[in-house]
Amino acid sequence: MKKRSLWKTLILFAVLGIISLFFLIPLIWVVASALRPASPLYEYANPLTWKSFIPTKPTLENFVHIFVNLNFGRAIMNSLFVSVSTIVLTVLVASMAGFALAKFEFRGKAALFTIVLITFMVPFESIVIPLYILIKQLHIDNTYWALILPGVANGLAIFLFRQFFSEVPSEIMEAARIDGASWFRIYWRIVLPLSVPAIVTVIVMVFMFQWNSLFWPLVATHSSRFEVVQVAIAVHRSTENTSWANLFSSAIAGSLPPVILFLFLQKYFVRGISGTGLKG
Amino acid sequence: MFRNNKVAWLFVLPALTFLLVFKIWPIGVSVIESLTMTSFTGTKSFVGFENYEYLFKHDPVFWKSFSVTLFYSIIANPLIVLTSLLMALLLNSSHFFTKFFRTVFFLPAAISFAVVSVIWMIVLDPYNGLANSFLTMFGFKPQPFFASPDQALWVLILLNVWRSSGYWMMYFLAGLQNIPETLYEAAEIDGASTLKKTFRITLPLLTRTISFVLVANTAFNFLSFAPVYIITKGGPMGSTNLLMYESYKSAFVNLDMGRASAITTILLGIILVFSFFELRFTRARFEY
Repeated sequence: MKKRSLWKTLILFAVLGIISLFFLIPLIWVVASALRPASPLYEYANPLTWKSFIPTKPTLENFVHIFVNLNFGRAIMNSLFVSVSTIVLTVLVASMAGFALAKFEFRGKAALFTIVLITFMVPFESIVIPLYILIKQLHIDNTYWALILPGVANGLAIFLFRQFFSEVPSEIMEAARIDGASWFRIYWRIVLPLSVPAIVTVIVMVFMFQWNSLFWPLVATHSSRFEVVQVAIAVHRSTENTSWANLFSSAIAGSLPPVILFLFLQKYFVRGISGTGLKG
Repeated sequence: MFRNNKVAWLFVLPALTFLLVFKIWPIGVSVIESLTMTSFTGTKSFVGFENYEYLFKHDPVFWKSFSVTLFYSIIANPLIVLTSLLMALLLNSSHFFTKFFRTVFFLPAAISFAVVSVIWMIVLDPYNGLANSFLTMFGFKPQPFFASPDQALWVLILLNVWRSSGYWMMYFLAGLQNIPETLYEAAEIDGASTLKKTFRITLPLLTRTISFVLVANTAFNFLSFAPVYIITKGGPMGSTNLLMYESYKSAFVNLDMGRASAITTILLGIILVFSFFELRFTRARFEY
């Protein structure tokens, strides 16, 4: 590694610092607002002082309120349940298909791969209306199934697994076949354990998708039993007497799970994507 | 490669079932639905391309929405790809602060579009918002932002850049990890500048990631819904009325499924056309 000059590093640091202000300033203000006792929204925004960004008497009462009185915990649990279920199903279903597409030659393979490619170019939101009609006909509207099942049909996940498995040498599988292992056993005991980076990528992708979805849950469910995080947050906006303290604190609480997941998986996420052929 | 039709199909079957039921079927239904019309009594009839004809010939709201959506995508798409690429290039080094900035840039992507929309709605409030406080502090005039038909769409684009750049940055960072260090070392021996290395080594070797992000981001942008639904409701004066929101209104407010499906189908068509040209363009531009 070549020794870098100090001033180059300093300039880089300054440039990054300036860019990060653009990302951070709104966020710091939101966090500060959520940590204040409920007060008029713009009290500290105009005019601008240091108090806009640092609460003088920080309190967690807003967070206590949304969890104790507004049942925000229920929404978090709903979103967690939906996300985790979708993740488990997607990883299983997509990795099996990816395995077959990567390692087998079979009739109809080209047609199947075309379907996979089309479905990952056609995003979820664009088929919401017919999807709604479909789940009504299947009598699963306003259930957890309505939130989980459509998310499992994920062409991109299949594609990522296929790319990843292509790089796993076939010799390991041939050896296992000679030892008499069934194909399912090979998939379960050899292929799947080797694909941790791909699995992590798909986990993050699916989690972010389910956790952040608003449009589909809004359409597919209507009872508060199934209210997911984003709907619980968005509801504040349409009511007349919006409590901004509640809105901000639920927004922050609702964003913590993905941030925590990202911090944990950051290392894997980068490796996962690069191991799947999406590289340059 | 192994040859075993039965085993392969057993492995593929669950995924195929999900794709057929929850993707291919709805796409098909959407296309067929766009060829029908529902009367006041609720009976459906096949009308051929009448919905499309009406949209293109007699529907100024659709045209306005159509042009707003095109404009939005043509600006937002390259802008987001450029900012995320630039951020990744700046963070493709190992300084003590690299990890910190990566996390900061990614933070907005971890927040849902709904929440981001609420945050920006308040930050950009014309009277008391944070943004105007900053502007007046530095001696500028306060701006109307989302309240102005001239600014609203631009602000929407900016909001999207803020939210999405960090997400795509991750894909670029991943792509960058795969470029062998030896190439840069060789270039340094030949005395190549940083700029030259970026344009001669990094960008050409990042082609596949660039076209992937470009295509994925195109679809993503065309389907922007949350900010419009939460902040502007398509206004002021239709200036942010993106097609996805227009389709939603058509389906769930005006209960006109034929029109809604026609709009969605048109949207899908545009996405496929855009993706096609983007793939062609990136290939011509960067590959050897």
